[in-house]
Amino acid sequence: MSTSLDPLVHTFVPASRIDPSLKDDLVAHCHDILRSHIGHRTDSSFSQLADLAKRRLLQLSPSGASASTFTALASKLLDQPVLSKKQEAILFLYTLSSLNAHQQTSLPSSIPSHRQPVQAQTTTPQPQSAAMGEDRTRSNAARLQEFRAQRGTPLIDESALVRDTLYLMQGISGKYVRFASSEDDEKSLTFTSDPRFTINPPTRTLIHRLAELGYLYSRVETFVRERENMPGVGMIEQSLCHYLQTQLTEYYRLIAVLETQLASSNPNENNASSPNPAEATGLSLRRLDVWVNEWRLRMRMMSVCVEGARDTHGGALVNLIHSYTDNGDPFIRKFTDELLEEVSRPFFVTLHKWLFSGELYDPFEEFFVNADSSLGHVPYVHPSSLPGGINQLSSEGMFPGFGDSDDMTGSSQKLWETKYRFRKDMLPMFVGESFGKKIFSTGKSLNFIRYSCLDSDWVITREKMSNTGGTLQYGDIGGLERSIDAAYQLASQRLFEVFIDKFKLLDHLSALKSFLLLGHGDFADQLMETLGPSLSRPAQSLYRHNLTANLETAIRSSNAQKDPTDVLRRLDARMLEYSHGEIGWDVFTLEYKVDPPLDTVLDNGAMEKYLKLFRHLWQMKRIEKALDTGWLRVTGSARTFIQLPEYESEWHKIRVTLHEMIHFIRQLEAYCRVEVIECSWNSLLEFLNKKDGDLDALIEAHRTYLERTTKKILLVNPKPGKEEILLRQLSELFNLILQFREVTDTFYNYCLSESARRDQQMDNVRGVYTGAAKDSPSHDLPSGILERLQECGSGFSEKVQTMVQQLQVHPDLDCRFLGIRLSFSDYYRPKKDSSVKS
Amino acid sequence: MPREFVTLQVGQCGNQMGSAFWQRLCMEHGIDKDGILEDPSIDGEDRKNAFFYQADDDRYVPRAILVDTEPRVINNILASPFARLYNTENIFMSKDGGGAGNNWAQGYSIGEHVYEEIMEMIDRETEGSDSLEAFMFLHSIAGGTGSGLGSFLLERLTDRFPKKLIQTYSVFPNSQEGDVVVQPYNSILALKRLVTNADSVIVLDNAALSRIAGDTLHIQTPSFDQTNQLAATIVASSTQTMRFPRAMFTDLTSLVSSLIPTPRCHFLTTSYTPFSSDQIGEAKSIRRTTLLDVVRRLLQPRNRMVSAPISKSACFISNISIIQGDVDPTEVHQCLLRIRDRQLANFIPWGPSSPQIVLGRRSPYIHTSHRVSGMMIANHTAITPIFKRMLDQFDRLSKRNAFMEQYKKFDDIMTEFDDARAICDDLQKEYKACESADYASYRTPAEEVQAVA
Repeated sequence: MSTSLDPLVHTFVPASRIDPSLKDDLVAHCHDILRSHIGHRTDSSFSQLADLAKRRLLQLSPSGASASTFTALASKLLDQPVLSKKQEAILFLYTLSSLNAHQQTSLPSSIPSHRQPVQAQTTTPQPQSAAMGEDRTRSNAARLQEFRAQRGTPLIDESALVRDTLYLMQGISGKYVRFASSEDDEKSLTFTSDPRFTINPPTRTLIHRLAELGYLYSRVETFVRERENMPGVGMIEQSLCHYLQTQLTEYYRLIAVLETQLASSNPNENNASSPNPAEATGLSLRRLDVWVNEWRLRMRMMSVCVEGARDTHGGALVNLIHSYTDNGDPFIRKFTDELLEEVSRPFFVTLHKWLFSGELYDPFEEFFVNADSSLGHVPYVHPSSLPGGINQLSSEGMFPGFGDSDDMTGSSQKLWETKYRFRKDMLPMFVGESFGKKIFSTGKSLNFIRYSCLDSDWVITREKMSNTGGTLQYGDIGGLERSIDAAYQLASQRLFEVFIDKFKLLDHLSALKSFLLLGHGDFADQLMETLGPSLSRPAQSLYRHNLTANLETAIRSSNAQKDPTDVLRRLDARMLEYSHGEIGWDVFTLEYKVDPPLDTVLDNGAMEKYLKLFRHLWQMKRIEKALDTGWLRVTGSARTFIQLPEYESEWHKIRVTLHEMIHFIRQLEAYCRVEVIECSWNSLLEFLNKKDGDLDALIEAHRTYLERTTKKILLVNPKPGKEEILLRQLSELFNLILQFREVTDTFYNYCLSESARRDQQMDNVRGVYTGAAKDSPSHDLPSGILERLQECGSGFSEKVQTMVQQLQVHPDLDCRFLGIRLSFSDYYRPKKDSSVKS
Repeated sequence: MPREFVTLQVGQCGNQMGSAFWQRLCMEHGIDKDGILEDPSIDGEDRKNAFFYQADDDRYVPRAILVDTEPRVINNILASPFARLYNTENIFMSKDGGGAGNNWAQGYSIGEHVYEEIMEMIDRETEGSDSLEAFMFLHSIAGGTGSGLGSFLLERLTDRFPKKLIQTYSVFPNSQEGDVVVQPYNSILALKRLVTNADSVIVLDNAALSRIAGDTLHIQTPSFDQTNQLAATIVASSTQTMRFPRAMFTDLTSLVSSLIPTPRCHFLTTSYTPFSSDQIGEAKSIRRTTLLDVVRRLLQPRNRMVSAPISKSACFISNISIIQGDVDPTEVHQCLLRIRDRQLANFIPWGPSSPQIVLGRRSPYIHTSHRVSGMMIANHTAITPIFKRMLDQFDRLSKRNAFMEQYKKFDDIMTEFDDARAICDDLQKEYKACESADYASYRTPAEEVQAVA
């Protein structure tokens, strides 16, 4: 073809004969034209072309001579049987003619336009104006190519680049385009530095885009490979890897398909002569870009997951993935949903085990429940047989000094509270925190039922039952929530049943109320009666066996004997640590022993509170009894009362004071019993009867009960620094009452001996011999005794008055009500009123 | 060793009341007419041994001593279905069976003769109890036996058991229609012993009893049985907290010590509401009961077992309401506040005083139609008019020296009358004095004399 072009060029451009470069240029130009499709109209018929040419000729030479010559020649050509491409020949000639016309007008300007891209090339790869006409671009591109060829840096063939890109997409450097040193964290793309080839900027960007895929791929792939060989990779990560691996396999398949495409299009390209088939099947960079577009998104997602998996772990990883489900892009949503379905599978397996059998199977600590390994699954049958661990727990706190007497004092409270921890950050978001808590508590309850309450039969049966139901999975969140709810209900209900029916929690709670809070009034009376006298002795003279014997007597002689033996067995009397000078009253205490798992509810703190309450109520009882015996002596037995008329009015005053004290102590006691203990107890019972909530709620309810009781009985003022101000006043009042009792007794004894002396005198006067007439002299009234009585009486009134005033402004309503109770008839109204009156 | 009570029922009225009382106790403790526990499976959480002891055959036997000078009432009891309940050794009937002829003096002098025999019974019962706390004394002060023999026994009990409480349930005569002419004499003489020898007297006013029984039953004259059931309910309820112990008032001492501030003012009045068919046969009305309803009704004068006009200045010295039934403890709070706000009760000015509401336990053996029932025991100065009325009646009679010869058998009866009158008068004055703020410096007239001298 080029051989026939040369003469043509020579004919048309005579200058080319001398200048070979110009000739080459023109020939190349012609080649371009021939190769291009400009004006290539395959559809136009021969006659049409002939018409067009004729019209052109007419334009050029209006004489019409050349036109008629053309017509003759054309008809001759048509008749020629040798030539096959008549139409093309005409077209070529026609085009040449138009080019010729063109050249005359625009050739000079087209030369500089040749140069322009060259300059651009040397400065910056300027994006080519999109506005350039199709015609023009083509020719410019061609010129650029030409220009490059001239400069010796030809464009790399696209097919080579496509192959390179395919490599790049697999994370492998290609021939022309390669990754920077792979040791770097950031893989950056470098184009080959070989100056012989250039890649134009649009292609560069394109390759860049495609190479991103390779970069992401290599990251994901490395991650997967790393995890494969790493020990201790969590199950959630393992399943993530699995999913990634399947995705990568898909990706390989795509690459393979692309490669075959490339291979099949290459031979066509080698033929070169026909560009058309290449257009249809060949692989261009743009095509590649379109095809892998979806994969790019996918790879990005995967890479993000991989990135996340580096720092997070287990549930948090699930969480991370889950955070992408809230996306408007349906593609991303779908992708993450699929991924989650896969990734959350081990989570659900763990969840299932936890939720239905209370077992934490989580070797990689991925679950949102964390077990404290130091408190392992310890069955409580033989806590003493275990070295360390639980046994250490059992010996501390609770019953110091008696730990050895009872092996069953392990603290399951501690176990319950600290064995499992809830890790919020590991909780998958699709579960929700409230459900998470429910799951946590369900498993904990089951675990507790199983290992602490040794009720494993039930758990196992239940687990079997639950297995028949649907499985838990990510896709069915609604079903999951239903299952959780059901399991939670069942487990907490069962825990309640276990505690109430099997371990008789209610019995123990009411026993605590009856004994430690002195709810069994007759028992308390008896205990006071048998124990009272010995408690006035110094603490060191008390023996524990005496105390327990007295306790036994009190139980047997009161209604307490009807209580369950298990309850009575736990009751014990003992002394607190005492220091020199303390008497029995200061150190005596009752105690109630609880063993696991009851001590989950009745933990050390609770028992301490009970003991504190006992000591206070016991003291109150003591005062009450002291007043009662005082009353019996002074008021009740008035029928035998010593007749000493001169002191009658003193006694009258004593009785009035005594009455005031009795009133005080009765109201105080009634307040403690009714407003505080009974009311709190009622709300506790209400809770227990509802059987709603889990063990934590149960513990909480009991704690509230105890808290409320303690606060109100000890009249705790919430103001900091003033907590015990009323309690102190109360104990001052108690002391005052005891003092008063003492002084009264002294006075009583004096009166008794005085009256006996007078009787004897009278007998002597009457001449009756009654015993040895010692003629004992009249004792004087112990000095100051009447004043002291007076002091006690008025001191008591004043103190009660201050207390009532403080109670009236007490922040707690019930405490305020005690003030009303004490001064119901406004007896203790502020001094002002009474002073006005007097 | 629970606190036990020995019950003495003296005279016609005392025995009738006692009979009803034991029937009621049996019912509350699930004991049948032969003393056998009806349903051992129920744990009543009660203290049956406060009033009963168990014989060798596990029968529950009341610690009761039945004393009368005539056989009629006791024979009736022995003919009743509950005959086998009592220990026959504890029944004393005067051998001659002549009765005391409604004469205090005669009853008292019979005491001199039968003293040994009755004391033996009392000794046996007290020795049979581990720690006897008190004697319950059921009698009337109008007739001869309950009043005269009763007085004698009270004196002897004080002598013999100075450390034991003596609680009497004394039926005071109906002021208007006394069927005994010499009732004012009998009453005043017996009242003297109640003042000096008893620790606490629960006054059951016959007039009030029949009025309340009548009101409840909507009939003009209730039968003796019905009033006795009513009285028995009072007696039973007043010991409720000891028989069904809870935290407070598990012994009689704690109860009376909060009620009685000074030794002479120990005459307690009671109210009970609502009476219903459970307590008295044929009572129909059932009302809705809440704690507040019950307490409010308890405070109303017309429900008191004492018929006397209430003066403006009358006030509570003390007041305990024993509530039985299904009560939310939070209601107590509300109820007390309501009493205070509405000023439903007046209290003494010389010392602190408050209404005490005790939530008692109800017997699990009986089912009442009322949700809540309550009994109030109060020491109230409104009792003064009763003493005044007794004094007036006595004065009217003694002025004319009427029927005096029957009492002449008793040595030195005139001094006795004077003494008794003085003591009753003092009592009346002291109760009056309780209404004033300076009771703390109160002195009896005798002390005044002493002080002046």
